Amino acid sequence: MAATPIASPIAVAMYPTLSGITLAIGLIVTAFFFIYEATSSRKNRSLGMELSTAAAASLFLGFGSLFLLLASGVYV
Amino acid sequence: MMKQASVVDLFLLLLAIPLLATPAFSDLVLSKVERRIDVTSQIARVTKTLKVVNSGSESVSEFTLTFPKFLGNNLAYLSVSHSEGKGKSKRSLATLSVEEAHPKGMPDSVSFYSVSLPKPLNKGDALTLEVVAAFTNVLQPFPEKISQRDIHLVMLQESAQYLSPYVVESQSLSIKLPNARIESYTKLENTKLQGSEIKYGPYKNLAQYSYAPIVVHFESKAAFAVAEKLVREIEVSHWGNVQVTEHYNLVHRGAQLKGEFSRLEYQDRPNPQGVSAFRHLLARLPPRAHSIYYRDDIGNISTSQMQSDSKKTELLIEPRFPLFGGWKTFFTIGYGLPLSDFLFASEGKRFLDISFGSPMIDLVTEKLIVQVVLPEGSKDISVTTPFAVKQSHEIKYSHLDIAGRPVVVLEKNNVVPDHNQNIQVYYKFSNINLLSEPLMLITGFFVLFITCIVYTRADFSISKSSAAYLAKLQWDEVLATLQEVQNIIHKCLAAHDKLETSLRDLSRTGDIQTCKAARKSTDGLLKDLSKELRPLLASLQSFPSASHISPKVEELVAKEKELQEKLMAKHTTVVEGYEKKSSGRDIENRIASQQQKIIALRQEVEDLLEFIDEI
Repeated sequence: MAATPIASPIAVAMYPTLSGITLAIGLIVTAFFFIYEATSSRKNRSLGMELSTAAAASLFLGFGSLFLLLASGVYV
Repeated sequence: MMKQASVVDLFLLLLAIPLLATPAFSDLVLSKVERRIDVTSQIARVTKTLKVVNSGSESVSEFTLTFPKFLGNNLAYLSVSHSEGKGKSKRSLATLSVEEAHPKGMPDSVSFYSVSLPKPLNKGDALTLEVVAAFTNVLQPFPEKISQRDIHLVMLQESAQYLSPYVVESQSLSIKLPNARIESYTKLENTKLQGSEIKYGPYKNLAQYSYAPIVVHFESKAAFAVAEKLVREIEVSHWGNVQVTEHYNLVHRGAQLKGEFSRLEYQDRPNPQGVSAFRHLLARLPPRAHSIYYRDDIGNISTSQMQSDSKKTELLIEPRFPLFGGWKTFFTIGYGLPLSDFLFASEGKRFLDISFGSPMIDLVTEKLIVQVVLPEGSKDISVTTPFAVKQSHEIKYSHLDIAGRPVVVLEKNNVVPDHNQNIQVYYKFSNINLLSEPLMLITGFFVLFITCIVYTRADFSISKSSAAYLAKLQWDEVLATLQEVQNIIHKCLAAHDKLETSLRDLSRTGDIQTCKAARKSTDGLLKDLSKELRPLLASLQSFPSASHISPKVEELVAKEKELQEKLMAKHTTVVEGYEKKSSGRDIENRIASQQQKIIALRQEVEDLLEFIDEI
């Protein structure tokens, strides 16, 4: 029976790069979200726009923080 | 104390042998027995080569190994294999299964182990067995308490004649001592001392259970390092790492130190006093081990060195103080290993193939606990070990866990480096479960954002009729209206730009019809936009709080209208000029003044827009 070695789904050497990129994108989208919150008036706010920006920001921030944890040696 | 017990045992044994009825053991005859005992370290390793001949009439499928009880109690590792060929062509075949046996009617001072032969040995056949046995605690320090200056003397008790339930035709024993002082040894017939090796034998034609006790008293320079308790935690993470953390409770089990410890004498050069102590411990870790740390409860211990190559990583550690007899220390070693070296997939299951015992060379572990922590979501866990261990299950809660990680706990007592073989832990895991960790983080961040949204939308004011609250409400509406005005003005400006582009197109292509059409559409658009503006302006005027803004807005609208008219006029002039086919310069002159005013107006409009923006 052949035993094939199992490796991580993403190359371990990529973790720092990936964490930097995803965190940067996540923070930019967070910035968009908060700018929208600050500049729109009560009447003009659209819930769909808010929720979609929040979803995109949390997706990138979530993955970014996961890769950050992995890159710093906390193998969760 | 140990010595007295063993003497009593020997005496009983020697008494018991004539009283024994000839046991009903098979008629195997050991034609040649060669024993080699290696006591250069703290573990006594006995290697026996037995040539077994079946001189009886029945075929035999079992062989019995015996040890005197005081050795048998300290047996840590036993492995029997059968080999073929002699000298260079000797090859070792399969390891045979050995079980502890308790045949009836046998004296208590002998331990029996029964070996199952690979195939039944027929009449007249011969078989060669190789037995490797490792004993701990059989090298007794004698004297038991020494001072710092004394050398470490230990004593070994054995039998020159092989204790066996079978008749032995010829046998020999050689004891390999460390390259140091030999205090004394029992001299029987046929005893030779060659360098640091004592040879007893060959002895011929001995009866069953023949026993000739010998005692060897010699100096040992080995480190008697014993780990009273070693907890080894192996954590598997499918993101690419196997983290091993080992907690050691180390003690020096040699002769105890009596009197005081003098650092001065210990560090005196050229004669340091303190040979019985050990300072260094060497650990052989797998290759590609990374992030190695060595610390204890106080903090990091910096006296360590690491050397790595492609086959192994060697870690030489030095505890905070040298260990003399009876002294204890405790520390933790941790390192990470790449996942693909240790985790494999076969037949739908995954298995972790990792070494069982401590990586330290020459360390005896009295109680070894190995905890294998598998990722959350692992199912159908089973363990395969080459020797007996005690298994149990636990749950560990670690980073980003919902239900906890399953832990397999393996316990074994009296572990020697011979036990450092690989064990396999089988389990099932699908990579989808890996996603639960980022999902948890994403959900956490999303909840944060939802809180922000809820906060900006919710109305937290306590009094709904206070002046400040009403003023705030009004101001919100003013801002909304302003924004809409801004949007419309932007649209108007865009329409102006479209007009300008149409003029430019005209100068390029000379197509008057498209130009006129563009003007018409823009005209309509601008009329619609001004219609939208009117109610907004009205509502803006109705707000008292916007009193300082509304004149500015009106100014903006008025200017924008002027701009509109001027642009339209310019457009018409240019188109007329093209229709009349007058030269470019004529047209330029005609619209020159208009152009200037247009530019000025545009600038004012943009200034006003900026002002509104900043509110």
